[in-house]
Amino acid sequence: MSIIKRNKWPLITILIIVVALMTVIAVGFTIGFLSENPDGLERVLIDYYGEEWLENLFSPWIPFLSWITNDYVAGIVGVVLSITVLMGTFYLITRFKKKKLE
Amino acid sequence: MHLPDGLLNPITTIVLWIVTIAIMILGYFRMGKMFEKEDSEKMIPYIGVLAAIIFAFQFVNYPVPGGTSGHLVGGTLVAIILGPWASVIVLFLILVIQSLFGDGGITALGPNAFNMGIICGIVGFYIVVLLVRIFNKTSLKKELKVTIATAIGSYISIVLAAFICGIEIGISGTIPIEIAVPAMVFWHILIGIGEGLISALIVYYIYKTKPDFITSESILKVK
Repeated sequence: MSIIKRNKWPLITILIIVVALMTVIAVGFTIGFLSENPDGLERVLIDYYGEEWLENLFSPWIPFLSWITNDYVAGIVGVVLSITVLMGTFYLITRFKKKKLE
Repeated sequence: MHLPDGLLNPITTIVLWIVTIAIMILGYFRMGKMFEKEDSEKMIPYIGVLAAIIFAFQFVNYPVPGGTSGHLVGGTLVAIILGPWASVIVLFLILVIQSLFGDGGITALGPNAFNMGIICGIVGFYIVVLLVRIFNKTSLKKELKVTIATAIGSYISIVLAAFICGIEIGISGTIPIEIAVPAMVFWHILIGIGEGLISALIVYYIYKTKPDFITSESILKVK
């Protein structure tokens, strides 16, 4: 409880940012502000080999979350995962660095 | 700019993995005093916010004339906020998460982290440092110096990353180097405008609202 109290404002900021990002993604795709065109690297590869070649490149695995085809769901899951993984990693880094100093 | 699996040859991939891992280990030790401070845990939720922003910006593409699109890489932006060494680790982790969705390959994680984390993060950051030193000779306001330097640094770093990515593709023999490099650079000259503008706006906003969040200020030496 004290952790939540101590980090009240950062947590509120995270919530606001997540909601804002989800709104931007949803509105962006809905009104067509965001583009589904290939990005720079894909454009170069498609121009040279064609789209089919790019889709058939060998990969040693099937990405765990590739079954999520809905952009909004993928966006939410990705944002939540990013927050969790990054906060967890930097929490550990901070702990290790402090322990080393002690 | 996310390289998929199977695009680069094994030697190029392994070399870039080794370089990336070596720089990440070095980065851990050189990350600065920020993470050793007594109240450094306070930074962690903000790192979460930054992670969400970078993931979302890399996830959504803005239209670019000519039938292509761009997305923010955010390497230079993260480096300005958290410092150059932390940016490589942040970008690597974001790329790991994106690869789970199939955006960028799992074997190409090393090369992707090299291009977006090391080139856009560390190299981009030191371009900004250089520009800030030049702007220090002018009477511009502190926040404007960093904002303009970020815009230019982000732009140069993304074009440079595209240039190096083109060389990697050329060396791998996927596309002849004389075609891969100009094509990559050409598209990213356009895409980089968005990267520069968005990064600069975010840095300016942070300077106006929470300037102490720019933890790299001691390295930037902005006056």
